[in-house]
Amino acid sequence: MSNNQTLVDAIVDMREDDALQMVQSTLDAGTDPLAILDDCSEAMEIIGKRFEEGDCFVPELIMAGEVLNQITKMVKPKMTTTVKTKKLGKIVFGTVEGDIHDIAKDIVAFMLDINGFEVTDLGVDVPPAKFVDTVQKTGATIVGLSGFLTLAYEPMKETVNALKAAGLDNVKIMIGGGQIDEQIREYTGADAFGKDAMTAVSLAKQWVGVN
Amino acid sequence: MQVIGEKINGTRKRVAQAIAERDAEFIQELAQKQTQAGAAWLDVNAGTMPRQEPEDLVWLIETIQAVVDTPLCLDSANPRALEKGIAVVNKTPMINSISGEPARLQNILPIVVAHGCPVIALALDDKGIPQQAEDRMVVIRELMSRTRGQGIEDHRVYIDPLAMTISTNIHSANITLETMRLVRREFPQAHLTLGLSNISFGLPARARINRTFMALAMQAGLDSAIIDPLDREMRAVIITTTTLLGRDRHCLNYTRAYRAGHLES
Repeated sequence: MSNNQTLVDAIVDMREDDALQMVQSTLDAGTDPLAILDDCSEAMEIIGKRFEEGDCFVPELIMAGEVLNQITKMVKPKMTTTVKTKKLGKIVFGTVEGDIHDIAKDIVAFMLDINGFEVTDLGVDVPPAKFVDTVQKTGATIVGLSGFLTLAYEPMKETVNALKAAGLDNVKIMIGGGQIDEQIREYTGADAFGKDAMTAVSLAKQWVGVN
Repeated sequence: MQVIGEKINGTRKRVAQAIAERDAEFIQELAQKQTQAGAAWLDVNAGTMPRQEPEDLVWLIETIQAVVDTPLCLDSANPRALEKGIAVVNKTPMINSISGEPARLQNILPIVVAHGCPVIALALDDKGIPQQAEDRMVVIRELMSRTRGQGIEDHRVYIDPLAMTISTNIHSANITLETMRLVRREFPQAHLTLGLSNISFGLPARARINRTFMALAMQAGLDSAIIDPLDREMRAVIITTTTLLGRDRHCLNYTRAYRAGHLES
């Protein structure tokens, strides 16, 4: 499947009107909707890479997300069969109880998403029980705990303990945000910590046995 | 403008290292430089784990006080750390911070009252940071009624209306400015302070945004800020804005600053 480079470029350059128009005319011409989604994920990958390299910024990630949502809405009704793209794994993500920082969490969740994971984002100030509940409901095999404040270490530890107490010993837990380091990882009992979004992605891939 | 120097913060890597290694010289240099640059207060945040924090905070305070007598702003949510810290300060410290969260009010407010400390009050509660200015005012009114109820005079309260990044909401700055105007009208004696640099999170050339926002915020009533006092450009913005807002008789402070070389880039 060859990519429509003009569409990829339009998304990457955040030319919203151009991108949406292109999607519309491609759909009208009867192109396979899946090809469009394929272009989208290529564009998102480029944007994600640029973000990691400091060449693209948070508001642009959000903008790209909005464009992507609109395209998905246009494409969906045209899909004859519900083709579920195979996800690499399920992840439950959230900022722990007592902490309300969301930006870093959102970025990591976004990067995991565009790298093929199904991410359930629980938002901020998430109590341990909510993590346990959601893992049980979704069958996720990975949990990501975010926290910026030093106050977050205790609830992180409590969340790790709650997951273990619920018998979810096989769930892998990563933590990240602010000043987290090996010492704090050990304190909380998490399996790993990450300094940035790409570390989270490679950890997750490693845990599901990809790459 | 009362500058609260932000640099002695254990959530910064180099400071965390200095705390861990008990590198007094590094901390003392930060204290001296910020004081020389005109900081009215020095924020002190150990940023360490709860069980370690009281001991680290005490070490920081004693280390800083050995070289400067600038009053300190004890930055912690841990009542045990604050109590230990207050026991060793030379001057009444500011407490950073209380908020509308019940735990903070319950644990921190009594310490503020017992020691007659000025206090930073954040416009958030257990439901998070209100989106709109009017909703932040609801939290602020509740906080003011609590501090007044405890006999804390308004001028001891430094209200932080909170600056969220414009990265994720383009109206964030407007909301903060609007909240400040409302505070000024309703609580004219209270101070307004701000952890200013949040405003630019996620964007490039952050310093430029921070400095411009400082000018706007001062116009809206900001009279204190938690910033890096060593940022010369920021200092120049503060001096210039103070003059422009008519708070500098015959521009004397401005011309003095010019002669002292503070306005050169």
